[in-house]
Amino acid sequence: MNPDKAFPHEENARVIFKTLKFRSLEIKNRIFRSNISGTFDDYNGHGSHTRLNWEEKFARGGVGAILTSFTPVSVRGRILTRYAMIDSDDKIPFWRAAADRVHGHDCKLIMQLSHSGRQQDLGGVENLHLRAQSSTSKRDYFHGILCEAMTKPQIANVVNLFAQGARRARQAGLDGVELHGANGYLITQFLSSGINDRKDEYGGNWEARARFVLEIVRAIRAEVGPDFHLQMKINGEDHNSWLYPWQKPGNTLDETLRICRLLMDDGKGVDAFHVSSGSTFPHPRNPPGDLPMRDLVRWYDGMISQGTRAGFNHAIFSNRLTAQVFRAYWRWRRGKVIEGINLPYARAVREAVHAVDPAIPVICTGGFQHADAIAGAIRDGDCDAVSIARPLIANNDLPQILQRANGPEQRRECTYCNKCLINDLENPLGCYEVSRFPGNSFEERYEAMIADVMSVFEPPTYPPPTTAAHQRVQP
Amino acid sequence: MKRDDEPLTPVERSVRNRKRLVWLIILALLAGLFYWLVVVNQYVVAQKSEQDHFLHGSIGAETANGLPYWVFKALPEIYDDKLGGEGWGKFGLITLPEDDLPLGFSRRVVTGVERVWFNCSLCHIGSYRMSGGEQRLIAGAPSNNLRLQELIVFLAEAGRDPGFTADSLMDGIETAGGDLPWYQRLIYRHLVFPAVKTRLQWVSERLAFIDRQQEWGPGRVDTFNPYKAIQFNFRMDQAHVGDDVLNGSSDYPAIWQQSPREGMNLHWDGNNDSVAERNLSAALGAGVTPVTVDRAAIARIEEWMWQLPAPRYPGPIDDEAANRGETLYTRYCAACHGRLAVSPPPYPALDAAAPYGPTPPLRDCAAPRPATYAAVWNPQTRGEADDQPDTYGEGISAYAPARRYDYDRGRYPCLGQVVPLDRIGTDPGRWRSYTREFSAAQNLLYAGYPWRFERFRKTDGYASHPLDGIWARSPYLHNGSVPTLRDLLEPPEARPVEWYRGSDEIDPVRVGYRSDAAAPGRLFLFDTSLPGNGNGGHDYGTGLSARQKDDIVEYMKKL
Repeated sequence: MNPDKAFPHEENARVIFKTLKFRSLEIKNRIFRSNISGTFDDYNGHGSHTRLNWEEKFARGGVGAILTSFTPVSVRGRILTRYAMIDSDDKIPFWRAAADRVHGHDCKLIMQLSHSGRQQDLGGVENLHLRAQSSTSKRDYFHGILCEAMTKPQIANVVNLFAQGARRARQAGLDGVELHGANGYLITQFLSSGINDRKDEYGGNWEARARFVLEIVRAIRAEVGPDFHLQMKINGEDHNSWLYPWQKPGNTLDETLRICRLLMDDGKGVDAFHVSSGSTFPHPRNPPGDLPMRDLVRWYDGMISQGTRAGFNHAIFSNRLTAQVFRAYWRWRRGKVIEGINLPYARAVREAVHAVDPAIPVICTGGFQHADAIAGAIRDGDCDAVSIARPLIANNDLPQILQRANGPEQRRECTYCNKCLINDLENPLGCYEVSRFPGNSFEERYEAMIADVMSVFEPPTYPPPTTAAHQRVQP
Repeated sequence: MKRDDEPLTPVERSVRNRKRLVWLIILALLAGLFYWLVVVNQYVVAQKSEQDHFLHGSIGAETANGLPYWVFKALPEIYDDKLGGEGWGKFGLITLPEDDLPLGFSRRVVTGVERVWFNCSLCHIGSYRMSGGEQRLIAGAPSNNLRLQELIVFLAEAGRDPGFTADSLMDGIETAGGDLPWYQRLIYRHLVFPAVKTRLQWVSERLAFIDRQQEWGPGRVDTFNPYKAIQFNFRMDQAHVGDDVLNGSSDYPAIWQQSPREGMNLHWDGNNDSVAERNLSAALGAGVTPVTVDRAAIARIEEWMWQLPAPRYPGPIDDEAANRGETLYTRYCAACHGRLAVSPPPYPALDAAAPYGPTPPLRDCAAPRPATYAAVWNPQTRGEADDQPDTYGEGISAYAPARRYDYDRGRYPCLGQVVPLDRIGTDPGRWRSYTREFSAAQNLLYAGYPWRFERFRKTDGYASHPLDGIWARSPYLHNGSVPTLRDLLEPPEARPVEWYRGSDEIDPVRVGYRSDAAAPGRLFLFDTSLPGNGNGGHDYGTGLSARQKDDIVEYMKKL
């Protein structure tokens, strides 16, 4: 039994709902909504009304801060279409509106500045005839997405795009920015020894591989100054050989710790670290959970045109036997732990970082949805806060639940089925685990599920006239 | 420049290129498989029994020298007038009723075309008949009927014949019953015919010296002059091959009981003492080349003839006379030729490890002995076997094995040795035809392989050989110049000067094929006064009385 369970819930809640102070930011509790969103926005990267609804759901639910979903600094760095971007000043008004919505619930909004690199799942028509930008020219080994190694001028350009993104975030009134340096996106592609095969000064030892992100950090600081919150999401370890054992394993924890200390840049660098793991997305360790094979067959098909291996993957997923073998392999590569899967890495990062500067908090992601687990991690010094995505999709009001109970009712808990993840490729993001919804029949439960998923569109952009107004136009 | 407004995406290009690569690999593999199956791999008919393998199995001669099957079938149709309606039988070839090809011809599919050519049995399938009896065959006996020279000349003339054209070939094939599909007709007309024509012309040119030779006649071959021309490109014109070395025709040898012959001086002049090397060399004569030889097929024949029993004389024997003859034979003949094993002990001490005498070197000692032979030489029943022997072989070529022969070179010191020419005195033509230059060239054959020839040498005479089954090896002396055993015991000047080869009826008194003008069969007048045909020499026992000679001959029936 987890010894933390010995603590009364009130004590756990006290730990969780204690203010967290960064160097230049303070949030009301220790729960971040991790970076997640659906394909709600305009195709060209302008934010939508639905996106405002989406972010507000969680702010209303009580999280201390929201990390925007993967926000591309350029259209070439997009993962999926219909995600709001920060590639131009014309996106500032939308993000200002988003910040306003979120702030209205005493919640902070931190923009995750991102670039997909070669992990560009659905690049959109703008990228149809382009190879993705990356540190390498080797295609992504999971989906087979084609890429080309960036030239130095291209690198300098992307560094500047990050800096400009940070500037726009600040101008939009957001509370900080996060660099997505985990889970296989462009910054990981430079950081990871399993991916980066460059022969120039951006490849080689850990320090050379970290040059790209350090340049970004310095460029952002130069653009937005030292007092704008800047945090870094990073892999504890890459686990790059999860799918094919002959792939190089990628960064070790030791290398990660060195990189973290480097990015602190003598106090001029990042203000916090956000710890994840896995050099691809998805990865058995991120988001940790199951793999819904039927959903994969239904919704992965759009990727067949995107990667040279996607057709092969889809064939694997479509065959009952190979699908089950793949699923079992996926679960085996994940391991037994889901909730708190990254805590050992977070603890190591926190120790290494605090040895230099105790004012740098560490946030950990990975399946959190119980008060005792969250409070235990914070209490033990594994991390200072947690970020949550899927359990918050399942229960938007999870922080409120955690204030009064250790977790949601068991039948309302997130099952880590990852159906949300797969449905996001072609459907509105939401919880697609029918078993979680009330109803006496599948039809009733399914209806309830759809209603929940579609709630993100409420209120609509153009609300219908109120009853009184409606009556007025009736003769 | 053409505008392309619908280019493939990089992913589509990559997937397309991958698919093309996969298809290319599949096609390359299929092409490789096709190439291997059709061009590289060869196909032969596997024979169940050792004897059938000897009679019908391929030794690889078809690959370099074979005639495509339908050419072989068409030639007798095209030249029906020349062959007098006899077909290949004109050349003494025997076709069994159930067979498609004559004995001595095997088939092999090479580069997708079935070809036929010689195997070992062409020269080693003998026939005999007792007076008024049916023709019987003996696998391993000398081919007394084969007129190889005529066969070669026939093929060479076809090569030279302007009338032998693709059209005549296609007509001949049709007449022979070849209802070929269109693609085979195309192959035969446009690929096979030119190749065959060219090859036959080449053979005709290489073997042009044959026209200068005395006729070989049935049952004889000039072993080494064609060998010089074809294997080594020796110049064969008058200036290089004079009349003295031109006529070296000799009888085909029997090939039974090779195990005791290992180490004896083989070939008529004893130019090699290795059975295996002699066999490979003989295969070259049948048309294999060092590159195309099927050594496994030859090894199977070697295994078979290693213990192949000699045939037993099929007629009655006067035991009393034979017993008298045994004494005389032992005195006058046995030192050079060995004799029947005497009793006791007729057989060497038999034990389980080596019940049939010495095992040859470099052979698989665990290989099972041919079942028929094991039954024949069963040590438990061998006593009776001498009186009522089991049958060896199958079908028309089944025969009773001969009595046990004693090949002991300790007891018979001259057995398998070369007797100098000035002592033996037999015709020197064959001896002359085997030259020192030729033996040097032979010892270069198979260079680079473990079985490279190394035992060939020029000798100073002719070798004495065991006389097992001698009744079936008529006519006698190396050049077959003496028709019967009884004639051989006459002084040279008393031996027949002109007589007829070509009959296979056994003369039960003089022992040998009948040589008179009334003998059945297609006869060939053999003139011993022509170069290479001399019947002199080997004057052993010629001073005995007529009755003593008769007794020796009676005894020799038992060998």
